[in-house]
Amino acid sequence: MKDLTLRNMIEAVAIDKRELLSEKLADLILSTKNDGKMPVELANSILYYWQRNLLLAEQGLTTLVEAAALLEPEKTTTILTELNLPEIAERVKQTSIRAEE
Amino acid sequence: MVKFGIEFVPRESYWKIMYYAIQAERDGFDNLWITDHFNNRNVYVTLTTAAVYTNKITFGPGVTNPYMVNPVFTAQAVATLNELAPGRVVLGIGAGDKTTLDSVGVEMQKPLTAIREAINIVEKLINGETVAYEGKVFKTAGAKFLFKPKGKIPIYVGAQGPKMLALAGKIGDGVLINACHPKDVEYAVSCVREGVKEAGKKYDEVDVTAYTSFSVHEDIKKANKAAVPVVAFIAAGSPHQILERHGIDVEKAEGIKEALKVNDWGKAFGGVTPEMISAFSVCGTPDMCIERIAELLKSGISQFVVGSPISANVRKGIDLISERIIPHFKE
Repeated sequence: MKDLTLRNMIEAVAIDKRELLSEKLADLILSTKNDGKMPVELANSILYYWQRNLLLAEQGLTTLVEAAALLEPEKTTTILTELNLPEIAERVKQTSIRAEE
Repeated sequence: MVKFGIEFVPRESYWKIMYYAIQAERDGFDNLWITDHFNNRNVYVTLTTAAVYTNKITFGPGVTNPYMVNPVFTAQAVATLNELAPGRVVLGIGAGDKTTLDSVGVEMQKPLTAIREAINIVEKLINGETVAYEGKVFKTAGAKFLFKPKGKIPIYVGAQGPKMLALAGKIGDGVLINACHPKDVEYAVSCVREGVKEAGKKYDEVDVTAYTSFSVHEDIKKANKAAVPVVAFIAAGSPHQILERHGIDVEKAEGIKEALKVNDWGKAFGGVTPEMISAFSVCGTPDMCIERIAELLKSGISQFVVGSPISANVRKGIDLISERIIPHFKE
């Protein structure tokens, strides 16, 4: 599991779960007060995929998870746990802890 | 058929506004309006980004003013934008608000004359003319662009008072009426009609737009809660005659004004009454909003703009408008 990238993990997310995940993460980053933490490259990637309606695809969803994890790590972990995506939640949690250290 | 516009305030990060702009375009909105206030992010930078991230939606400043932004610069900005997004650019221009202009030491002199002159200068420059203009407010001495602007850029005049509304009808390709209640819109449209008639134009040649504070939610309480802060500011800034027209207690509005001055948000927002929400916003469930929009359409508007706050959750609000409200008027 350690060798899996975030993208690999997201590839494994069931199609029927992706829409809800995408919407919840989009709401999280659109409502955050931490928008100043958003790297421009990541914001532009999200817009690139959104413009092409690809936020449900692996690449698009990966950018959303990365952004949500950066801006709101705890809330992102909660969303992922609620959607029964424990591996991704754990990855976000570990990444967040490493970033704090 | 009525057009639907949406307004965003670039107080938000560019990527949030672009997310919503892409969504609004996909969801069937016709127009995108970006507000222009010096204390927010720059309107033309935001519009340029919108030009890149959208493909078909019409967009423009809603509205700029000629006191803060010289008409020569405005003409240059919209002409350049129209190269990036040919045929999709409109210009919204109004006299601005006195409080904001005061805060930067800019005098709002002769607003009717200023708007007339500014539009004249903008039109001439966009037409590629050399402009030597001796106005009462603006003067140019042979201004001319070193590039050739292409295409027509419709000019919308933001107006509230009767004289500005009539002028807007007379010289504008469109009018942006800052009003939400049928009584106010009906009155405004009657003023616009006078100007249109005076100019010898047909009424339907002018895109008469209700530019509203809008809040929609399936839960009326949530719709109201989102509308309250915006309504508080509008009620506090409204003349007494407008308040009285809507049966609003002037003292209550004054109380909100005083509370806002000292940033006492709890008192200010707590003072907002249902009458104020009804007068100064289009607010409620989708069905309630449909009912209000239908009333406004009877007055003779051709565009309905969904302005701040839109919804407690803007993303969901845009989808709700697209799925429940727009189809009611377009299908």
